[in-house]
Amino acid sequence: MRAGTNALLFAKILKLGLATEPLGPGDEGLLHLARSVEERTLRLLGRAVAIREVDAGSCNGCEIEITGLTSPVYDAARFGIHFVASPRHADLLLVTGPVTRNMEIPLRKTYEATPDPKLVVAVGDCARTCGVFQSSYAIVGSVDAVVPVDVFVAGCPPEPADILRGILAALDRLPKR
Amino acid sequence: MTSDLAIAHLLLGLTVFAYVGGALAALSVRGAAGRALTAIGAVAGSLATLALGLWSLGAGVTPTLALPVLPFSGLALRVDGLSAFFLVVVGVAGVAVGAYGFGYSAHYEGRYSLRLLGVTLNLLLLSLAIQVTADNALTFLMTWEMMSVAAYVLVLTEHDQGGTVRAANWYLGVTHAGFAALVAAFLLLSAGDPTTSFEAMRAASLSPGARDAVFALALLGFSAKAGIVPLHVWLPMAHPVAPSHVSALMSGVVIKMGVYGLLRVTLDLLGGGPAWWGGVVLGAGAISALLGVLYALMEHDLKRLLAYHSVENVGIIFIGIGAGLMSQSYGLPGLALLGFVAALYHTLNHACFKGLLFLGAGSVLQATHTRNMEELGGLIKRMPRTALFFLVGSAAISALPPLNGFASEWLVFQALLGGAAIPRPEVALVMPIAVAMLALTSGLAVACFVKAFGITFLALPRSTAAENAREAPPSMQVGMLMLAILCIALGLGASLVVPALGGALAGLGGLPAVPIGFSLEMPLRVSGTVGEMSPVLVAAGLLLLGGITWIALRLLADRRLRVGETWGCGRFGQTPRMEYTATAFAEPLRRVFAEVYRPTQDLSIDFHPASRYFVESIEYRSAIHPWFEQALYTPVLRLLRGAAHRVRRLQAGSLHLYLTYMTIVLVVLLIVARWPR
Repeated sequence: MRAGTNALLFAKILKLGLATEPLGPGDEGLLHLARSVEERTLRLLGRAVAIREVDAGSCNGCEIEITGLTSPVYDAARFGIHFVASPRHADLLLVTGPVTRNMEIPLRKTYEATPDPKLVVAVGDCARTCGVFQSSYAIVGSVDAVVPVDVFVAGCPPEPADILRGILAALDRLPKR
Repeated sequence: MTSDLAIAHLLLGLTVFAYVGGALAALSVRGAAGRALTAIGAVAGSLATLALGLWSLGAGVTPTLALPVLPFSGLALRVDGLSAFFLVVVGVAGVAVGAYGFGYSAHYEGRYSLRLLGVTLNLLLLSLAIQVTADNALTFLMTWEMMSVAAYVLVLTEHDQGGTVRAANWYLGVTHAGFAALVAAFLLLSAGDPTTSFEAMRAASLSPGARDAVFALALLGFSAKAGIVPLHVWLPMAHPVAPSHVSALMSGVVIKMGVYGLLRVTLDLLGGGPAWWGGVVLGAGAISALLGVLYALMEHDLKRLLAYHSVENVGIIFIGIGAGLMSQSYGLPGLALLGFVAALYHTLNHACFKGLLFLGAGSVLQATHTRNMEELGGLIKRMPRTALFFLVGSAAISALPPLNGFASEWLVFQALLGGAAIPRPEVALVMPIAVAMLALTSGLAVACFVKAFGITFLALPRSTAAENAREAPPSMQVGMLMLAILCIALGLGASLVVPALGGALAGLGGLPAVPIGFSLEMPLRVSGTVGEMSPVLVAAGLLLLGGITWIALRLLADRRLRVGETWGCGRFGQTPRMEYTATAFAEPLRRVFAEVYRPTQDLSIDFHPASRYFVESIEYRSAIHPWFEQALYTPVLRLLRGAAHRVRRLQAGSLHLYLTYMTIVLVVLLIVARWPR
């Protein structure tokens, strides 16, 4: 059975060909940006930057843009941006959305579970102002009401390039090795 | 010479005196004083046994020491190297078990008969000590039966618990089937006269057919006692229900009597045989080892798990014996000696670490009243000493250096790898397969004890019983401490133990003597094999590595330390339900070996009556039934039951019929008695 699945997989890969796309015209700046993130993480950490994403109650618009970072177009992994499955492995938390009541304690625990030195990048307008969810009964408040935030990325939702810029700005706040 | 004999008689007399005294004390004195006297009897008797064994090994009185006791009873005793070694095994286990039993039997007070327990425990130890010094078939078979029955009574101690009687009956059935085979084997060996001495049996020349028959019967009989697959069925039933110190004794020593008997008959009395004898023993051992550990992995009852590991370890011992017999038949006495030494060494080691583990499991059982690992956990904080002892035992049985399990398994590997020197295609086929099976067994054993220790002792307690557990009393700790120290000492001192074992075997079946060497790094080196190993250097290396790591951590690591709770995906509270269970830990291996286990699974989901999107309860049940046992035993049991039904017709309840039977029997006896010869 496993051999059959493998054959199917290889057939699919052959048929599909190259899936990555070139960036659009005028996006060279983005490439430059990504390269500077890579250069800075290498200098500061000596390795890729490990990011843990926390959805504190977002509408998932920001998540779609963050997923865009790892898509074939941006392919952020090649610049040393690496999403991990546990805060224990993370250097940086990427928090989206207003903080709902249910996510307040998990967010705080995630922050506590992340080893020092750590960075927090709050992505999207909701993370800063609670956006349209402002004054909802289910909301505790903005992200910085729960955990200290290093950088806010504005936008509803912000583009992947904005998120990259946010990560770059946050890396500047890391202590020198 | 006479002084040697006097010392041996004195020690033997002390042994008998102490055990019988312990038994009498159990009968006559009640309460804590009775338990103490029973324990003192068992410990003193075992010390005398140990002294006799060590003295005989050290004095090198082998094989000249015959002990004439009770001249007209037909009993004959004699201590030679093999006996002396097994006396040591009995003594070591007996001392620890005796001391432990004092504390352990405290909670039987008022519930079960302490008299029966004390008497049979001392009698069992006595029969074991006499067993290994028996010098004729009568003595051997009598003590064999005494041992079996004493063990049967001991298994029955907690008779009102579910499954105890069934387990004891299975034990009795299997062990008596084996006993029948042994009687037949000894009758063949002694040409019908049970008081024929072993000396005469050695000298007797049997036809090859008769020798093969004796070997087959002996293998059957001793395998039933040793717990070799497929005769192992009684072990996982009887060990869990027996009192834990009895389990330790049964697993550590009683099943080893199968090893002793097999060596005594095949190696000593028959003097070795054709290569297929070794092949059969090797194959049975390898299959037992692998199946034993595979079923142990799936077991979540702590003591049943240990019982399956006994099957595994007896398998490893049989692999050593099998390799020895094979090498002997191909004319390689040095390599044969290595195989037998490895088997004996593992026998002693298994008595230590399995005894230790059963005692540890007993402490857990006494503190929590459950053997189910899924209800344990967190005991390392509540029972730190028991946890430490259990950890030492786990590391030893997992064959981690520098503990004793590693040294003896290493020797077994050497004995198998040395088989490359035999230029025969069948050996070239068998040995690598055996090596692979043994390697797989060792690996799975590690996985199993990561599970056993981790689930039982680490993380959060899974039940209130585990939460309220308290450390075992001092007498039980002392029993475990002794065995734990031995596990370490026997590992470090391997290069001293091996020559002593070689000396114990010298002369049996034409095996050569090995010179006893000593050097500072104490290398374990055996001529004619591929490797050498120094347990002391390995231990030193490990210590050095640990030290360097520690220093490096102190000097280089970031010392800003933050203590936080275990990462639980941000949930509000950590509960034992979030922990890894024993079932989950073993699940990957259950999938890999699904063909062997053939597990049955049963998933029942109760939906809300209004909608199938709402689940009210989920019940998952999974069981593993050893299919080959059922396939093998069901026909036998059906046959037995049918026969019993037919025989029952004889017992019709009519007095007239019984009188007729008696008349018929009388007439037949008279005819037989007067029959002209």
